[in-house]
Amino acid sequence: MRVLLVEDEVRLAENLATALRDGPGFAVDWAEDGLIGDDLARNACYDLIVLDLMLPRLDGLSVLKRLRARRDATPVLILTAKDGADSIIQLLNAGADDYLAKPFDLGELIARAKALIRRGKGAAHPTLNVLGLEVNTLEQTVRRQGVLVDLSPTEYRILEYLIHRPRVIVSKRELLEHLYDYNWEHHSNVIEVHVSNLRKKLDAALPEAEPIVETMRGRGYRLAPSLPSQGPDQSPAPEPAP
Amino acid sequence: MKFRIQPRSIAFRLIVAVLAVELVSSILVVVLSFGYERQLHFRAFDVMLHGRADSILGAVQDAEDLGDNVMLDQADLHIPPEDIYEVWDANGRLLGRSNNWQGTGNSPGAGPGHPTGPSGEISELRLNGHHYSVLRIQGSRTIDPGEQGGGKTRQVTILYGSPTSHVWHAIRGAVEFYAAGSLFLLLVTGPLIAWLLHRGLLPLRQLAALASQVSVDSWQFAPPASARTTPELAPLTLALESVLQRLERSFLQQRAFVSDAAHELKTAVAVQKSSLQLLSMKRRSPQEYLAGLERCLADSLRLEELVADMLALARAESPAPTSGPPPSVDLAACIQQAVAQLESVAALRNVQVFVDPSANCRGTTSQVAEKFNRSRIRKSFVTGHDFSRAANAAKSTWASAPAALSSGTLSGNMLFSAASSVVPQEQQDQEGALAPEGVSLEAFVPLPPEDCTLLVSNLLLNALQHSPPESTVELRLTREAQTAVLVIQDRGEGIAIDALPHVFDRFYRGDPSRARTTGGTGLGLAISKAIVKKAGGAIEIASQPDPNLPSHGTTVTVRLPTAG
Repeated sequence: MRVLLVEDEVRLAENLATALRDGPGFAVDWAEDGLIGDDLARNACYDLIVLDLMLPRLDGLSVLKRLRARRDATPVLILTAKDGADSIIQLLNAGADDYLAKPFDLGELIARAKALIRRGKGAAHPTLNVLGLEVNTLEQTVRRQGVLVDLSPTEYRILEYLIHRPRVIVSKRELLEHLYDYNWEHHSNVIEVHVSNLRKKLDAALPEAEPIVETMRGRGYRLAPSLPSQGPDQSPAPEPAP
Repeated sequence: MKFRIQPRSIAFRLIVAVLAVELVSSILVVVLSFGYERQLHFRAFDVMLHGRADSILGAVQDAEDLGDNVMLDQADLHIPPEDIYEVWDANGRLLGRSNNWQGTGNSPGAGPGHPTGPSGEISELRLNGHHYSVLRIQGSRTIDPGEQGGGKTRQVTILYGSPTSHVWHAIRGAVEFYAAGSLFLLLVTGPLIAWLLHRGLLPLRQLAALASQVSVDSWQFAPPASARTTPELAPLTLALESVLQRLERSFLQQRAFVSDAAHELKTAVAVQKSSLQLLSMKRRSPQEYLAGLERCLADSLRLEELVADMLALARAESPAPTSGPPPSVDLAACIQQAVAQLESVAALRNVQVFVDPSANCRGTTSQVAEKFNRSRIRKSFVTGHDFSRAANAAKSTWASAPAALSSGTLSGNMLFSAASSVVPQEQQDQEGALAPEGVSLEAFVPLPPEDCTLLVSNLLLNALQHSPPESTVELRLTREAQTAVLVIQDRGEGIAIDALPHVFDRFYRGDPSRARTTGGTGLGLAISKAIVKKAGGAIEIASQPDPNLPSHGTTVTVRLPTAG
């Protein structure tokens, strides 16, 4: 998951970025003013935008309004130092999904960030059950038909992204965009190695089953190729790939 | 004895005034009408007396006797019964008299001793408790006018009196009518005036009602158009409007400041809280903990700086105490102190500070150096690596350590000029700086010493923060008549034209993209302005952002009235 952090206070941004990277393992891009934030948000590769309100050059509310005017549905979490229901009502009406008042609790921020990403992808529960795979996003554990699968952080992040979009072909480029921040060198073969490892580990957990991660040559990856859906899994409406 | 006059309502006072004027005019009307009526009635009375006296004369007839005398024929006389009369002939013989009169023996003006008094004379007579006006006329009756020689002419004197009580009665009646009329008008117009005034003052009350609806939540004050055009209400309306506008503006400014301050403080607290929570998110190595603690300390230093700046601003903006002697401090000494405080910052940024004219910094060198070395601040920036911390530390000394120049801490970054302001200076080398022979220019300004130093160090720190390495910041102090002029000039990137009007705003940071990285609370210039304003001076800022021009950079000019 990739998060855009728009915050002008350097120290706060550093702390938030570190927390979001270390905790849930998100890729974090940091914009230090509203204009840069708006520019970065146009890439449309973010799963969440954390937006401060008082920003130089372009304030947070304007960034939000521009975002929504572009029909960008990325969840937005507002950080505000303002009190008062009016301000909050205005924010939510302008298209914000949630807000946190400064000074906030870092744990709460991470929990809300996760919840917003989950909701943005159509899942209500932090534990996702898709095609016999169980991904617990809180503990960051993966089970296949009840068998625990030990994944590296990157492998887990790939799976976490794929499991929100079962049966949809996810291009390599999309995976790269959502898993790494812009400081990262985008080498697609890095992804290939990680996906290969992920598939091996998932298949090793249940050797008799069919491979669950399918590689569509030249097009990308797909979770659960031919298996019909099992049980009451939350399969979100397929979104067009960005 | 001293009476306190209770303030009454304007309407009451106006009513009383109008009624008093009415009363006075009523009395005048009564007095005038009395005079007029008396004149009128007595003239008529006199005419009547003449007429009646003439009718008496008509009753004087030939007595048909031998002496050709005359007689009074009273049979045909029809005169009011209360009137009195007497008729005398020229020989003093009484021809006749009214029955109700015993003669003029009692009459002072028309007695028998004065039958030949002037004709037409009217005298007063009191008879039986009644006042009479008595007219005397001389008349003549010609006896036998048909005879040869025209007959004989007999002179008679007629005294005719009539009581004046009727006249007075009539006069009193008329005056009473006027008086009653006036009183009636007074009684009727009193409530009428009250009602009219009530109506007339309605716009004033409406204005007051509108004004009373203004509160901190609703600054709406929309007086009716008539209030603006009514000559009496217009000044009040305009004054109210302008006062409310000013109040609203300052209130909004205050609210904006509180909101901004809350934002800054909450952000600072959020930084600190998140730093600590980040540290405790997972187990870390001792090195990581140490680094984290150092960051937390830096965060709290920033918070401390923010609070200190906000307090300094609040103090600078509060009105000066009226009691006690007016503060006075030598601006040159303040410059010296500020330069000393910020020399470490200058050293870190590799910027030269050029003071003109240099202050004499010998004398207290050793003790000051000791003090400076002892201060915790110095330790902190000696170990600190980043510039902002040094700036923080140096700024923190403003409140606590009144550090002055010390030769031990002087580096090559401090240059002092011995030349006075009118002579072009030459940059001197370090030896010159350490032992300046400068002419100390004294300029005592009405400021508390700590405020004065804070002012200079704020401006100097600003200049240093915006100076590129290897450049020079100049401080020039000159005197113009009763004004001390301090010019601080840097060769930095300057200020954008559109940002220039806002640089004195609280929490305004001129360069948004670098705002947070250069540190500072955004209050420095606001504090400086408040201090200058308090001393009755002026501060202005000019900037040349074009780096290709030799004059590029920012120039701050402070003018302060000199106290001595």
